[in-house]
Amino acid sequence: MRASSWTWRLVSWVSVVATLVFVAGFIYAIKDVLYPSASSKWSSGPAGGISSVTPQTNDKEIQIVALGDSLAKGTGDDTGEGFVRRTVNVLQKEQKAPVKLVNNLGVNGMTTSGLLPSLNEQGIQYALKGANVILLSIGGNDLFQGAQNIQSSKGLPTAAELEASVKKASMKLRQIVVKLHEINPNAQLVYVGLYNPFTDVVDMRIPGNDAVTSWNTKATAIMNQYSQSKVVPTFDLFVENSSKYLSDDHFHPNGAGYEQIAQRIAQGLK
Amino acid sequence: MNSLLPLIKNETLKMMKKKRFYVVLLVLLILVPIFVYAQMKIAETNREKFNSDWRLAIRQAITDNQNSLQSARVPEEWKKYRIIYIQQMKYYLEHDVNPQEPGGVSFTREFMDNAATLFIPLLIMAVASDIVSSERSTGTIKMLLTRPVRRWKVLFSKLIALLMFVSLIVLSAFVISYLISGLVFGYKGFSIPVFSGFQLNGSDVDLSAVHAVPQWLYLLMQLGLIWFVSITVAILAFMVSVLVRSTAASIVIMMASLIAGTILTNMASAWTSAKYLFMVNLDLTNYLSGSPAPIEGMTLGFSLIILAIWAAVALFISFTVFTKQDILN
Repeated sequence: MRASSWTWRLVSWVSVVATLVFVAGFIYAIKDVLYPSASSKWSSGPAGGISSVTPQTNDKEIQIVALGDSLAKGTGDDTGEGFVRRTVNVLQKEQKAPVKLVNNLGVNGMTTSGLLPSLNEQGIQYALKGANVILLSIGGNDLFQGAQNIQSSKGLPTAAELEASVKKASMKLRQIVVKLHEINPNAQLVYVGLYNPFTDVVDMRIPGNDAVTSWNTKATAIMNQYSQSKVVPTFDLFVENSSKYLSDDHFHPNGAGYEQIAQRIAQGLK
Repeated sequence: MNSLLPLIKNETLKMMKKKRFYVVLLVLLILVPIFVYAQMKIAETNREKFNSDWRLAIRQAITDNQNSLQSARVPEEWKKYRIIYIQQMKYYLEHDVNPQEPGGVSFTREFMDNAATLFIPLLIMAVASDIVSSERSTGTIKMLLTRPVRRWKVLFSKLIALLMFVSLIVLSAFVISYLISGLVFGYKGFSIPVFSGFQLNGSDVDLSAVHAVPQWLYLLMQLGLIWFVSITVAILAFMVSVLVRSTAASIVIMMASLIAGTILTNMASAWTSAKYLFMVNLDLTNYLSGSPAPIEGMTLGFSLIILAIWAAVALFISFTVFTKQDILN
């Protein structure tokens, strides 16, 4: 009997106290969700936000950050690796220093005008600051946006349209490269040149080749202004071999195509 | 009141004798270490991948979600979750606050969040489902009702004992989760800021109401909301226990409706009147973290009112049936 009254006392006290605490929390939660108080707002963060933090850099390691569009992401590669992961694999075999893919920030459908504002994002700046190799792939969607799902010649951009996109997007590319150097002046910047995915479409072979060549020339001129920056050409790979290196969507490279691009990137890195 | 307290004491002791509560504790003691272990593994792989830098891991998670937004195969309603997740993570990143700061407190917060809709209600059913029906199946109900006490008092004392155990179960889930995860992740983290107040406006995330709350306060609010959900589930199980003669049937009915709730929330966006069902409204902690409600037009106020109505109706039915019904055989 004594044991049972002890149990009763314990159970009743603990449950009553717990219930009171829960009720208080419940009331506070209602208040907080329905009438969020502006006074507890935190505008600057605990210590000035992420911009005041510097990532740890390690010169003994090759730390890679990839940036840009679906090519950086690896769309079209059945293994999902893309040229980024494949480059890392090649480098891991060749280089003595450990090679690490820190971030792959490639987003499907990314264009130059989408990438430029995202470089102001502090999270992206933080990732870039920690890298010593930056792989950049951008511009394909600026030139061929909308054309990638079209198999017929209808809806394909005309030569004039292509020329206009090259002009507009290359200005953005210049701003992107300037910004990247501002964020991290010490990293090697590798820009993956464009190829013409439509060499097998009669109406697009010549205008597409012309536009891509003009784009690549402009890109090279931009990159040449900085040390440790280069364009890795891919145009020649796909001109005659689009059936061999392109995936089923006739736009993105397949695994073999990405492997070729990766080999080239690895050859050019010191 | 004088005649009630001994009755409540009697019911409480009966509940302890039945040892259901110990089963609940045992379930928690077995399951929580499993979750802790899984969480530990995740933390380990993240450390290897991102140089133990949570900022890089979060940034990668943002990109991964952005990519899934582009995919045409992802249903629209799932995209809503991703959009809000991306905005939240960007906000955490910009303010340099780790949303997954490893620690016993963060683990507990995450665990309680996930346990709120199904796990804790299941534990509560373990004690609630047979509270009346077992008296009937063993025949002890006749002994109980032949005593010179009014019927509603008998039922009321059972209800109070049940509500006491609901509080005990929610408390034990919290305490056990904190104590066990603390062994691995450390016991710190009560003062880490957590952001609350994200709102979805169409496809944009409204950040105007976002404010930081220390984690202990967040946990307190979370526990309060979970407690309310648990009370509702307990009262509904209580009603079923009054209405149904067999304990097994009463457990099955409650389990089925709870599980139906989780299925419905995943596909109910087309059938909007589902929002009046209690089981769709159990995820109150969502309103705290800012995850979008499963059905358009659901708010914290709405869910609370729906749950309160269901609970009130269940109480009314339980008491009317119990006081009027004939006890045969």
